[in-house]
Amino acid sequence: MIFKQFRYEPLNQASYLVGCPKAKEAFIIDPIEGLGADFYVLEAADLGLAITGVFETHVHADYVSCARELAEMNGCPHYLHENAPTTYPYTSFKDGDVFTVGQVDMTCLFTPGHTPEHTSYLITDKSRSDEPWAVLTGDCLFVGDVGRPDLLVGDQALDVMDEGERAQTQFTTIRDILFALPEHVEVYPNHYGGSLCGGVNMSGKNSSTIYYENKYNLAMQKADAAEFAEFVRDTAKPLPDDYEKIKSYNLGLLEKEELKGAGV
Amino acid sequence: MTPAEVRAAQQEGAAVLDLRTPHPFAAEHLEGALSVQFNRADLVDRVELVFPEDLPMIMHGEPEAIGKVAAKLLSDAGFNVLGHLEGGLKAWKEEGLPVVQLPTLDVDELKDRMGEFTVVDARDPFEFKYGHVPGSGILSWTEAWYEADKAEDDPPIAVICGDEIRSVLVASILVRKGKKAELVTGGMVDWVERDYPIEKGMG
Ligand SMILES: [Fe+2]
Repeated sequence: MIFKQFRYEPLNQASYLVGCPKAKEAFIIDPIEGLGADFYVLEAADLGLAITGVFETHVHADYVSCARELAEMNGCPHYLHENAPTTYPYTSFKDGDVFTVGQVDMTCLFTPGHTPEHTSYLITDKSRSDEPWAVLTGDCLFVGDVGRPDLLVGDQALDVMDEGERAQTQFTTIRDILFALPEHVEVYPNHYGGSLCGGVNMSGKNSSTIYYENKYNLAMQKADAAEFAEFVRDTAKPLPDDYEKIKSYNLGLLEKEELKGAGV
Repeated sequence: MTPAEVRAAQQEGAAVLDLRTPHPFAAEHLEGALSVQFNRADLVDRVELVFPEDLPMIMHGEPEAIGKVAAKLLSDAGFNVLGHLEGGLKAWKEEGLPVVQLPTLDVDELKDRMGEFTVVDARDPFEFKYGHVPGSGILSWTEAWYEADKAEDDPPIAVICGDEIRSVLVASILVRKGKKAELVTGGMVDWVERDYPIEKGMG
């Protein structure tokens, strides 16, 4: 397996490449416009890999995605969970679907809360073991923190769950789905450090493990979903600038020109 | 360059460097193209080792960004780069220009059909000496452009290397020079993994 994390420091954002040296193919997960589609194309080519799939954990509200462009450039699918309310077409998947690149399996774990379509990707390198090795947790579970539940667009058709519902769902999702994974599994989030997508307890460290977060993630030490929701609200950072605009663009409701540089 | 411009330059002797990975190249490529897998770290060094500096070259990358970057890297290094193919393979085919395949066989087929091929190893001599397919000869990737004319292709040549990057390059050079050549997929890595016989020395 070839596994690479790309950090976009201005927004404390992490995107990923998961590939197989034997198949010479790779998936890109959560690509960001700040780095740009060409960046991912060249990084993959440097590793001798062709990009055969572009995945997103969810429709982002705090940064501009380049997933559509990257998929189009490579003539490959752009994958999102079937709940994603975009106005443009994508290739949808369901909870439990498995995508394979060479010897690597990427299993879709439906992890709603931060958004209603949020999905984490469990990585298994079958050339080493049938046990999963890592999970890309998107904006569900961060190192030291959890994804915020309040980045809503203000449109009832799109904001399928309200803030309270999202917070409560986030708690059960993390407890029942992510913390049910083997404890050695490594955790790779979509954000770190100062990112506004989580709270004040988000670590600048770029990865963790299920064991460590289960034991030491402050929000997840709360007794129940209600206490969790209160804690998340109390420890939230300010809202990201222009998040409604960015989310609208990522949903296909705005053209790139209308962004005027927001979130790049 | 438009597909028509690329075709015209090819007819004047320019070489198209196909920068993709070996499998897509084998499946379909511009007639006459040479397979040189891209990366920023050592593309220039490899091209320097394989081709004469005055060879007119055209880059073909997918997506196009790769072709552009390669053209810049190589022309900055002093190579005679005419440009890159705009619109890639899709535009080329839309113009009705010719595409061809490079036949492939895996190591199991090679072992079963040994007598039907002239086996040629594209690696460096020190690697060949350490262990190669019994009965194979060496046409090292850095010599191939200059020595391919002399290659014996009856029976057709099956080209092998460590994995596929140098073998596909040598196979594409052989085909360009009018020889019958095929690519052994999986290379020596698969051959050794299957525990197939190995011959040591320079053969
Ligand atoms: Fe998010």
